[in-house]
Amino acid sequence: MVDIIFLGLAIFAIGGGFGMILFSQPMHSAISLIVTLISLGGIFALLSAPFLFMVQIILYAGAIITLLLFIIMFLNIRDDELPDEPNKNITIIIGAILLIPFNILILKAFNTFPEKSMNILGKDFGSIHSFGMELFNKWLVPFELISMLLLASLVGAVVYARKDKNRDG
Amino acid sequence: MNSTLVSIVIFNIVMALIVSLVFVPVLVWMERRVAGFMQDRLGPNRCNIAGVRLGGLVQSFADMLKLVFKEDYRAGAVKEKMLFTLSPVIVFATAYLSFMAIPFADDLVIDDKSYIMQALPMEFGMLWILAFAGLGIYGLMLGGWASNNKYSLLGGIRAAAQVVSYEAVMGLSIVSMLIVYGSIHMGDMVRFQGNLVWGFIPAWGIIVQPVAAILFIITAFAETNRAPFDIAEGESEIVGGFHTEYSAMRFGLFFVGEYIAMGVASALIVTLFLGGYQIPWLNTEVLKNNITTIFAVLIVTIPILSYMFAGWIKKNNVWLDKNDARNRETKWLITGIVIINIIIILFLGIFLLFGIGENGVNISVAALQVMTFVVKLLMMNFFFIWVRWTLARFRYDQLQNLAWKVLLPIAIANVFITGTFVVMLGV
Repeated sequence: MVDIIFLGLAIFAIGGGFGMILFSQPMHSAISLIVTLISLGGIFALLSAPFLFMVQIILYAGAIITLLLFIIMFLNIRDDELPDEPNKNITIIIGAILLIPFNILILKAFNTFPEKSMNILGKDFGSIHSFGMELFNKWLVPFELISMLLLASLVGAVVYARKDKNRDG
Repeated sequence: MNSTLVSIVIFNIVMALIVSLVFVPVLVWMERRVAGFMQDRLGPNRCNIAGVRLGGLVQSFADMLKLVFKEDYRAGAVKEKMLFTLSPVIVFATAYLSFMAIPFADDLVIDDKSYIMQALPMEFGMLWILAFAGLGIYGLMLGGWASNNKYSLLGGIRAAAQVVSYEAVMGLSIVSMLIVYGSIHMGDMVRFQGNLVWGFIPAWGIIVQPVAAILFIITAFAETNRAPFDIAEGESEIVGGFHTEYSAMRFGLFFVGEYIAMGVASALIVTLFLGGYQIPWLNTEVLKNNITTIFAVLIVTIPILSYMFAGWIKKNNVWLDKNDARNRETKWLITGIVIINIIIILFLGIFLLFGIGENGVNISVAALQVMTFVVKLLMMNFFFIWVRWTLARFRYDQLQNLAWKVLLPIAIANVFITGTFVVMLGV
């Protein structure tokens, strides 16, 4: 049962990824990305990480892609404004061929992982309480540093978005 | 997987179905009648089945039937056929799935085993609801975009901008509630609200955290795209907004989804701030210990209330023509009330006389709590409707200013102050 769900989610995730690269209409790409992110969330849930599953859906599938779609809709791109992409198929095939050695390398690296028992972990693993304890005890400094980084990027965005008084008064 | 578990799960799913889908016609009826009374008219009250009108409730079913049988027209300009069809489904499904995490009663204990009374028995209730609140907006956005219509596109963009801004405030007001309750499990939150502050006030969220309650109620209105925040479908400016191009049941799904979203928002407000299924001053323990007294009180009060209700019906449903079909409604309704009364009194009397054992006590407490929840839910829905017909629609810039310049600072300050207090008092 778990295997079937995993297979379904994996197919959706990979299909969404392909769709995101291959569609020429940006709206379709964004929707494919949503499919990928939600399937990844499902895979998190299968891996006994319900908190990550929820956060994945709330933040990535919910908030970030909403902003992305919002911007695409704001631009209101018409079909004739899209680039032609004359050699699209050939480029994709060449790109895929060029990536094969890399894939082989990753597969080899994956095969060197040591054997581990694949049992379902206890109920406490990945629950919000244990997750929070881990995050705010062991990883407090990195957590705070990341939040500082996000704050810095936020301030940067506001600075860029602010009207330039010299230019348009 | 024993039969108790299965039956409880089925009960909860049916319950979720009732309070979401079955309530939609009731809510539509409430909306139209309340709007009528607020504008000094009657609202729909003529539709009937053999004279039975139920105060106009039959009209809602007629409306639903009309939507189902309408021509399902799709303009030729709509090129994104799949997304066009999918978006009402997204709106409906996300709204309906949000209901899965609302607790209808305290954990039901049967044969020393505890069952969570949610359609989806899990402990991530709050996050689940936040997740689906975020996903629901795709329906409006994609619908607006796929319609290939400027008005629809504007509606979709407005909906997206509004929900993104108000979701931030909503999240922060929930954070301050989570600090108080110390859990994201909806059941724990409602159990907390069964306590008393200073021994005599119920510790409801709205009393413990009034600021968060106000913020959350405002943002809930915005999230559900209800007036005064319904700029996504502002009829006076952009025709119908995102659903301009929709007709028949495709529109119907948007419509139903909107009412279910309102139901979810009400259920969430009830659960977070108005004590959920808790009867004020009577938490689960008190109910269990005094179940016989409560039965006795119910046996006395239900007939009195029914008598008053029947009198009200008799007074208001009078037609000069004795053969008027509508005169029969009074007779039928009163017969129905009498039969229901007899059944209730019979059952309660049997329970009182012979006792009902531990499981029986637990189940009757749960039944009382489910009824309390439904009553509170309907009252909150009424509040939504009341606000809709009282306040005028915000202008777009006012809406964004309110979110970012007023509500967000208040929400952040509230989180900060709450956190400080909780740490200081060591609760």
